Amino acid sequence: MTARGNGRARGGGRAGVVLLVGLLLSSILASLMLGQIFLTPQDLWTGLWTGTGPGALTLRVLRGPGIATAVGVGAVLGASGTIFQILLRNPLAAPDVMGFMQGAGLAVICGVAFGLSLPLPFLAAAGGLIAAVIVAGLSYRRHGTQAALTLILVGLGMGFFCSAASSFLMTRLPLQEAADAQRWLAGSLAARNWGHALQVSATGGVLFALLAFQVRSLGLLELGDELATGLGARVRRSKYLLIATGVLLAGAGVAVAGPVPFVALMAGPLGSRMTKASSPGSRLAAAAVTGATITVLADLVARSLVPGLQLPVGVMTGIMGAPYLLWLLSREMETGDL
Amino acid sequence: MTGKALKTELLTLGYRDRIVIQDLSLTLPDGKITTILGPNGCGKSTLLKALARLIPPLHGTVTLGGDDIAKIDTRALARRLAILPQASKAPEGISVSDLVRRGRTPWRGLLAPWSETDAIACERALSQVGLADLADRPLDELSGGQRQRAWIALVLAQDTPYLLLDEPTTWLDLSHQMDVLSVLRERNRNHGTTVVAVLHDLNLAVRFSDHLVLLGSNGLVDVGSPEQVMTEANLDAAFGLKSMIIADPVTGKPMVVPR
Repeated sequence: MTARGNGRARGGGRAGVVLLVGLLLSSILASLMLGQIFLTPQDLWTGLWTGTGPGALTLRVLRGPGIATAVGVGAVLGASGTIFQILLRNPLAAPDVMGFMQGAGLAVICGVAFGLSLPLPFLAAAGGLIAAVIVAGLSYRRHGTQAALTLILVGLGMGFFCSAASSFLMTRLPLQEAADAQRWLAGSLAARNWGHALQVSATGGVLFALLAFQVRSLGLLELGDELATGLGARVRRSKYLLIATGVLLAGAGVAVAGPVPFVALMAGPLGSRMTKASSPGSRLAAAAVTGATITVLADLVARSLVPGLQLPVGVMTGIMGAPYLLWLLSREMETGDL
Repeated sequence: MTGKALKTELLTLGYRDRIVIQDLSLTLPDGKITTILGPNGCGKSTLLKALARLIPPLHGTVTLGGDDIAKIDTRALARRLAILPQASKAPEGISVSDLVRRGRTPWRGLLAPWSETDAIACERALSQVGLADLADRPLDELSGGQRQRAWIALVLAQDTPYLLLDEPTTWLDLSHQMDVLSVLRERNRNHGTTVVAVLHDLNLAVRFSDHLVLLGSNGLVDVGSPEQVMTEANLDAAFGLKSMIIADPVTGKPMVVPR
């Protein structure tokens, strides 16, 4: 009986992986095909190999760069959320809920408002890290199960503060810049070029490589500090490194697409459930793929919902994510974790 | 032989201004099962944690095979000594085998793939606790006794000559307590693993242990074989318990009967 049960569990997991990757590939394909002009897969295929025709233009200029950026942004946000969810052992712990992404957003708006000529990824990373340090500092001295909850609630406040401060700073900007900043703050993938796609792949790639070295200590930290220490983890150092990596991953996403909400929150739990993944490495991979899928789909809907108008992608992820957040909150309250 | 043992030298432990244990010098014999006993709040768990370097001593040292454990590299220590803290909480949805595999971490290189040795250690740990058939099941689906044995498999897979456990039988009914303790005893007999445990139940401790450390609220009361330590005077000193010691009808070892 158990043998069959095992087979089913494993088969289910494998089927989930196939489904997850299949979903990502089909959303990319759908996103390339749909839009103001409908393209058949044949058009795209011809465009890919001959470099001419509407397929080539769509791939190279119109939809390709935006979709590639969406994949990168979704992947870094998904992985970032999962790091915090595993570390704090709470599904609410994500950089968008805890204000790190809003902090990154505020730093970028500050850069624009005060004319700091620093590259966006640096501003976003610095903003995210500062927000994280402040949230951690304000939650200091709480231990045990209270610790995670305190961090999340303080972070929620931090997020509201940063959003409000960003809105305030925008009043200082000239009208056109303010409108751009407003779109960016809502989370936008409009008019993204290969530079954006390259930037998020490069920063994401480096951070994923760093994360690969930390996956094992994440697996130990998940078992509690004492057991992790007993199993040879340097708990404090590993935690700082993982938090920094998580904040920087979120910052890499914010730098190209703005603080797109709820992707980081949703990707991990959805991905793990579909693939039945339980080790941190496979959960992070599943979250990256799921995050990419969510972002590509949200972008597709955002550009197709109102013809001729591209809504910010963050509006769509917000519409998908807000009910999920409410459901999560009510479940946490029922189980007494909140 | 004596040089290899786990020892404390003038060990003082405490939190902030409260001293829990003062100037304790102990030798926990190699290859034996030692149980630390004592009333609530006497510092049993604190002592066990200090032995595993989870808390730093205020004064004094813990030595393992003659080396001060404060100076051993974290990973090197994790290859020599394993500790299972009390009431560990598992991540949601984790499978038994995934949990046990994490016990191999101190033996694996940073990016090294899963080796034959790792696989063998995990299989052996799972079969020693009798969970080989349930390896792929989520931990949440197991009974309390099975779950506790899965945690023990985790530290068995760590494959260390020293194994420390903080109340490994709490929350279990008597038959599951016996199960867990017999797993540890088998490991001790077959692999020569030195086991140090904190237990609550005096009579179970006597059955299970070769060596007892009895703490009272004012520090060490007595240390030695169960026959030596389990005396009416010692129990009165440690617990303030009026008792009678009779011979266990099954093993002939001392058995505590409260008056």
